Formats: sequence, structure tokens, C-alpha cells
Amino acid sequence: MFATKRLSKMQEHVPPGIAIVKCDNLEEWQMDIKILDQNPLYLDQTYRLKFTFSNKYPIEPPEVQFIQCPDSTGTPRTIPMHPHIYSNGIICLDLLGSAGWSPVQTVESVCMSLQSMLTANNRNERPPGDQEFIATNRRRIRDINFVYEDDNV
Amino acid sequence: MNLQDFLAMEESRERDELIDLRSLDLVSEYDSHLMCPICHCPFVEPVRLQCDHVFCGSCLSSAINSFRSADSDEFPCPSCRNPTQKVSASVPRLLINMCDEIRVLCPLITEGCQEIIPRGHVQSHVEKYCGYRLLPCPDNSCDQMTRSKDVGMDQKCIHKVRRCAHCKENVLEHEYEEHEKELCPVLEVTCADCETVVTRGALQEHIESCPEVAIPCAASKYACPVKIRRADIAAHEQSCPIVAMGPYFETQNARLKSLESSMRHLQQRNEIFEDGLANIRSTLFESTRLGANSHSGGQPPQSDREQQSSARVDAHTDDPADLAAGVFSSNATTYLLSLHESLREEVSQLSHAITDLDARASMAIMNECMRIKEDIAHTNAAVNSVRMQVQWLMNPRLHQGTRGGAVRPSSTESEGTRTNMASSVAGPSHATGQSLGPLRPRRPSDSGREGTKL
Ligand SMILES: [Zn+2]
Ligand SMILES: [Zn+2]
Ligand SMILES: [Zn+2]
Ligand SMILES: [Zn+2]
Ligand SMILES: [Zn+2]
Ligand SMILES: [Zn+2]
Ligand SMILES: [Zn+2]
Repeated sequence: MFATKRLSKMQEHVPPGIAIVKCDNLEEWQMDIKILDQNPLYLDQTYRLKFTFSNKYPIEPPEVQFIQCPDSTGTPRTIPMHPHIYSNGIICLDLLGSAGWSPVQTVESVCMSLQSMLTANNRNERPPGDQEFIATNRRRIRDINFVYEDDNV
Repeated sequence: MNLQDFLAMEESRERDELIDLRSLDLVSEYDSHLMCPICHCPFVEPVRLQCDHVFCGSCLSSAINSFRSADSDEFPCPSCRNPTQKVSASVPRLLINMCDEIRVLCPLITEGCQEIIPRGHVQSHVEKYCGYRLLPCPDNSCDQMTRSKDVGMDQKCIHKVRRCAHCKENVLEHEYEEHEKELCPVLEVTCADCETVVTRGALQEHIESCPEVAIPCAASKYACPVKIRRADIAAHEQSCPIVAMGPYFETQNARLKSLESSMRHLQQRNEIFEDGLANIRSTLFESTRLGANSHSGGQPPQSDREQQSSARVDAHTDDPADLAAGVFSSNATTYLLSLHESLREEVSQLSHAITDLDARASMAIMNECMRIKEDIAHTNAAVNSVRMQVQWLMNPRLHQGTRGGAVRPSSTESEGTRTNMASSVAGPSHATGQSLGPLRPRRPSDSGREGTKL
């Protein structure tokens, strides 16, 4: 399948601020991303992203979310504060929904979009209804119907 | 052709396609413009959308199948999200040729084929020419497969095994000769350089340590041409200037590499920004269209579809606030346009006023000039008449002067000239142009010439 080739191509050139942590199988990848500018909210922080690819990638979007790593792993990771990121790491970004996805997107471009989404943010808050959402949501990320309320964050 | 036809055509094609050209290993770099943005391979059977974006036929058909909303005849382009209805298979021949020219490894490399072929020929190579494609053994009693290059003219089975007399290994019949002559590890050979005798199995090891074998200088990758015996190489490397430069070259190489990669990343980032810009532009365009339609109360079905597509462009759910934002931005655009229009009018008014002013000023200057010219002509005339009088007065004086050289002038005579002078002051002023009496016989037209002599 060409998707495999396409994914392995990415490993040759990784954009700045992005590092591949785990890509040994082509179903789940983990990436570390850093925010490159001096946004005080994310200064000196590294966040871990988990990509899950279906066998229809890149026609279908990958599932992307931030994950937490406990201190004991040696690389503690938290979920970044952002009005579009729930505290369980689920990201509300139109690009990653079935409607906003385009097969020309790549892992790099998703990471870079998330970087710029964090860079542009200055609100230290979670999305409205965060607690209820993480308590009740059991669906797969793809099936959640987010309402992309505003564009300015 | 429209989307339905295209999908039907792709489906029928996929059945007779044997090799997935996208899974081939490329051996050379290729122009990034030849890369399909969906599968990131050089285009395979490319097709073109209305917006001029090109994709592989099969990539596009799978994208259409998952992105088209339930059998509508529209589909957003994966690259620019412009709605498109028609797919054109007429892609420039040049593009297809360039893709077919790309060098790839034979997909039977797993069987041992090392050939590098243009991608356009892979299908026929694998079907007809590759020596490594598997055929059933020509001996009907044998059920193994044979590589086509091993099927000789004699159509013999090659799967019979023979035991090597030297190393006691089982070797296939058709490989036995080669094994005995070259491969069998027990046979002895002499090293070509130091003439030691070793077994073939140990030869490789010996060559790696043989002091007589010529090896290249450690700086050979930086173009040191020296290649001498292993025993002497240490001495050379001590004195080789290029070895000394080695670390410097290495840091330079590393720097070049890091610069190249940062360039590439900048390029990527730039592409993402350009993409975003294109998105914003198309959103703006959609919303102005939408705004124009809702102003003119355009046909309801069409504006409906546009609402959908604009919603798709923003990748927003159907949020009325969003539509309102669209109308607002279109208002802003019309406001800016009208502002621009009024400014343009003002500028043209000003330029009119300036031309008017210019004409008036030059008229005034002309008038002034005429007046001054006339004055000058009057003055000239007056000056001329004065000169003539002076001449007329001077003439008798000069006359007298020449006569006075012989006879001493009497006081009465000089008094007479003085009275003459006095009487003539008023005289010529009303007798200009006429004959000036006996003492002044010249015509006034000569006065100019006379003047210049003065
Ligand atoms: Zn493709
Ligand atoms: Zn397009
Ligand atoms: Zn071959
Ligand atoms: Zn056989
Ligand atoms: Zn042998
Ligand atoms: Zn030797
Ligand atoms: Zn050297």
C-alpha cells in the first residue's frame, strides 16, 4: 500500500520543533512537538501527540490527540492549555474532522498546524463543558461532532 | 467527463492493472511537481480537475468516494477545496512522459532482479522480459517454479540436487558448475597481492588484513588520489594534507546539510502559509458571491448551494453567525470599493481643475507678452526718432568741425548752431519721416544703418 511508503518518507525530513518518538508500526505514531516562539503559555514545554492511522489513510484523516506521560517515564508530558483542547487530549480542530480533512495533508502539516494553533493562542483555558465532555465521551474521535465555533484561536 | 463517468472508468481500469506503480522503489530523485499530493508518488494515470490541480486517477477516485456528499455532482478539490464537477483525462503529454521516464527498480527485486527500468516499461518488463519472473517448471513431474532465465533451451528441470565432492553441501544441478569453480568455500586460492594460499572461505577475511593489498587513503572521499599498500598507508596518512583537512571538510558538509534541511523546512512552512492564504481568499470570494446574491435576491436553489460550499470552505458547521459574517465582510468590501470609486472621482476632478488653471495661466501670460511686445515696439520707434534727431543735430556740428580746422570759429557762428539746435528740438518731433529740410537730405530709412555706425 502506498500509504506505508508515504509515511516512511516523512522520517527523512522532520520540521523544526517536531520529533518522531515512535513510528515502528504504521498504525500508531507518537510525535513530540515544541512551540518555537516565546508564547509564555507553552514556553519550554514539549507535548506528545498520538497519531492513529486507519488503513484508509490518507483518504481518511488520522486520529490525532495529545497524550499524557507520567513523570516516571523520564519524559513527562502534559496536555497543553487551549480553548480547543480538552483535558483528555482530544483536539477540536476542523482540519482533523472528516469534513475538514483533505488527503493532501500529511503528518508534518498536521503537526505544523497544531504548532501554529498553539502559537496563536493567548487564553489559558479549556473548552466550555470540558468536565462533562471527558466524563461522558466514549466515542471515537472521528465520530464526535464538534462545532467549530470560532476561527480566531 | 463528469464524476460518475470518471468513477465508472476508474473501477473498470483497476481490474486489469497488475502492478501498483505507486509501490515501486524509485532509484533517482524526481521533480517535486510530478508528485501526486495524495499518495506522494509520481503521478500514475494522472487526471486534471477544473482548477488545474492534477492527481492520480485512482487517488482521486478514492478521494471522491469518501468526500463527495451522497451522489451530488460536485466535489471539493483536495488541494484548493474549489468545488469541481468535471474531471479531465487530458493531461499534458509532457507530464505523463516525465512520469514514465522516472527510473525504478524491478518489483521482482525480491527474486533477485537488479534491473533499473523507466517506470513506463515496468508492466511489460515484468510480464515479458524479466528473467526473474516465476514460471512453472518445464518438467511436468516437478511442481516447483523456475525463474524464466533458468529455463534453458533444453527445457530441463533444474531442481535436481547434487552433492559437492569438496564441501559436502547440496547444490542445485544447474548451479553446480558455478559452485565448483567459484563458490565452494573449501577450495584453496592464492591472494593476488601477497601470494599466500588460503581457502576461499577465508579469502575475504585475508584481503581485509593483507598488508600488500592497495587501499585508498582515508581522505579519498575528499579527493586524495593516493592508493597504496596497507603497510604504507599509515605513513601516507601522517603526511597527507587532505587527511589533516578532513575534520574541516566534515564540519562544512554538516553545515551545508543543516542549511539545506532548514531551507526545506522553510519551504514547507511557506507552502502551508500559501495554502492558508488560498483558503482565506476562496472564503472571501465565496462570501462576496454570497453577499451579492443575497442583495440581488438571486435564485434560491443556487444560493442554497453556495451557502453549502461556503460552509464547506470554512469547514464550519451550518452556523448562521458564520453566514452573517460572510455578509458583513461583503459589506466591508463594497464599502471599500465605493470609497475607492469616490477617491478616483476626486482625483479626476482635481486633474481637470489643474488643466483649467494651466490654460488660464498661459492665456494670461500670452496677453501680458503681447502688451509688452507692443510697448517695446513703441519704445523702439521713439528711440529711433530720438536717434534721427540726434543725427540731424550732429551733422552740422561735424561739418563745422571740419571747417573749423582751417578757419577759427567765430562766437556768432557757434551761437547760431546753438539756436539751430534749440529750434530743431521741437522740429523733427512732428516732422519725422518727412524730408528734413536742406540740411538734412537723408531719407529716414537710412537712419537704421546710420544708427549702427554710431
Ligand atoms: Zn496519487
Ligand atoms: Zn484544486
Ligand atoms: Zn526484472
Ligand atoms: Zn523442476
Ligand atoms: Zn563445495
Ligand atoms: Zn594477501
Ligand atoms: Zn591521502
